[in-house]
Amino acid sequence: MPHDLEPSLNEKAFVGQALQEGLRLDGRGFEDYRPISLSLGEEYGVADVRLGNTRIFAKATAEVTVPYSDRPFDGIFNIVTELSPMASPAFEAGRPSETEVLLSRVLEKTLRRSGALDTESLCLSAGQKCWSVRVDVHVLSHDGNLVDASCLAVVAALRHFRKPETSIESGVLTVYTPAEREPVPLSWLHSPFCVTFSYFGEEAEMALLDGTLLEEQTRVGSCTISLNRHGEICQIAKLGGTPVEAVSLLKSTQVALQKAREFSTIVDKALAGDAKRRDKGGLIAELSAENER
Amino acid sequence: MAVPTQLVLPGDDVDPTELLPPHPAAGTDKKAKSPPPLRLGPGLRLLLPSGQVVPTVSGELVADRRKNLLWVESDGGRYSPTTGDLVIGQVLHTTADNAIVALAPHDAPPLRAVLPVLSFAGATRKNRPDLHAGTLVYARVSLAAKHLDTELECVDPTTGKSEGLGPLVGGMVFPVSLLMARRLLMASAEKAGVAVLAALGEEGLSFETAVGRNGRLWVNSDSTRTVVLVGRAITATDAQNLDVQQQRALVKKLVRSSG
Repeated sequence: MPHDLEPSLNEKAFVGQALQEGLRLDGRGFEDYRPISLSLGEEYGVADVRLGNTRIFAKATAEVTVPYSDRPFDGIFNIVTELSPMASPAFEAGRPSETEVLLSRVLEKTLRRSGALDTESLCLSAGQKCWSVRVDVHVLSHDGNLVDASCLAVVAALRHFRKPETSIESGVLTVYTPAEREPVPLSWLHSPFCVTFSYFGEEAEMALLDGTLLEEQTRVGSCTISLNRHGEICQIAKLGGTPVEAVSLLKSTQVALQKAREFSTIVDKALAGDAKRRDKGGLIAELSAENER
Repeated sequence: MAVPTQLVLPGDDVDPTELLPPHPAAGTDKKAKSPPPLRLGPGLRLLLPSGQVVPTVSGELVADRRKNLLWVESDGGRYSPTTGDLVIGQVLHTTADNAIVALAPHDAPPLRAVLPVLSFAGATRKNRPDLHAGTLVYARVSLAAKHLDTELECVDPTTGKSEGLGPLVGGMVFPVSLLMARRLLMASAEKAGVAVLAALGEEGLSFETAVGRNGRLWVNSDSTRTVVLVGRAITATDAQNLDVQQQRALVKKLVRSSG
């Protein structure tokens, strides 16, 4: 089973020594993110996130299917993550590694279980027909902090996505093409974002944001906090590692709230830019049907 | 004197006699020293039985008339061992007689080499060097063949001295591209177009470096800040492909921001 080689003793010792002196290898502060760039695709539901050298591509799709029998009023929502050798030689196609399982679980808890997407609005005919929304997350380049970048990509893809307009008449479902009718956005309730802290030091006294691959390989513990812009925490995952003081964990949530607001601003700006780009010649205002008297 | 001639792609036809013409009337003057035979360097392959020379990589075809040598200058992405290369490796594990060293840790599978325990300066059966998993070593490739394990040595086989090779204590390793590693290892910094290290020295920083042909750069200094600064300067020069003026400006900016 392939796995990443551990860093050498020199690298481990040096990273620890540099952090003791308040230095990071790329010159960032402890609570700084690498440059984030989010670009939305030509077709709806495509998001490309670059976080330094980490690159995540997310694509949302939808199809009509039968709902689960135990939840006849809910649509289906899935997030699929697959790590391929393109991202890192440590990953092997088709065989889930620990990194992949942890990434899937955190995204699942952050987005699906927190109810970010209103699955009731995906129901077309109770017990018979519903939309199934699926987001595929592709890791194109892995330089650490996959969780934060993946969550940002999935949220942007889902908010950018448009599903086809439908109508039901006498039990017959009609799905209109984008040329016939404008597709409609998903019913989005809130935007949770992941913020991952990496802990260093004998007693995990130093907390870093946005660890690179080398920092992730040398850390003694990590904690992922998912929350939205309004300060509501969706999940906290601290899976093993060195114990952390409860007070410092509380401080981490304050830092995470600030970062979640920055993420929210990035997504809002990208969506506004995309809407402006699709409004060719400013004709949307001319076509408006709701006008003042 | 090496002269770049043209850009070549894999499969192009290369005529060595056109680039390096044989000496005229060499047979008539017996006193004249005969030129060395034509040699093909990296990136070129002789196809048998036709005797045609074709490039196997894309890049710039370079001809050295004095040495009668042809090769293709390419900035490929993966390291392939060659005898005589200086490399920085990481010990994976040790056996009774050998240490298994990873030269390219991020390849899949990692590029490995064998480092005999007795190929250190002053090493004997009873006096072994202190190697364990995770140790960094600066070594020379002593054997590199396609179908055999690559072999390293940390000693000059003729004199028995270490010549600066051996375990690297402390410091930090930074990944650089193979082209950057070759430029850092060139004798003349001006010819290589690398002014970062000289500029850092002019700014009053004192540090030591070891450059491996496998794309790894080791930096050590008394000050942790200096090591981080040197690593950032060289990594940025490599990533952004800066020229000499831009390198000096980058060094000034980094020193000012960290001072």
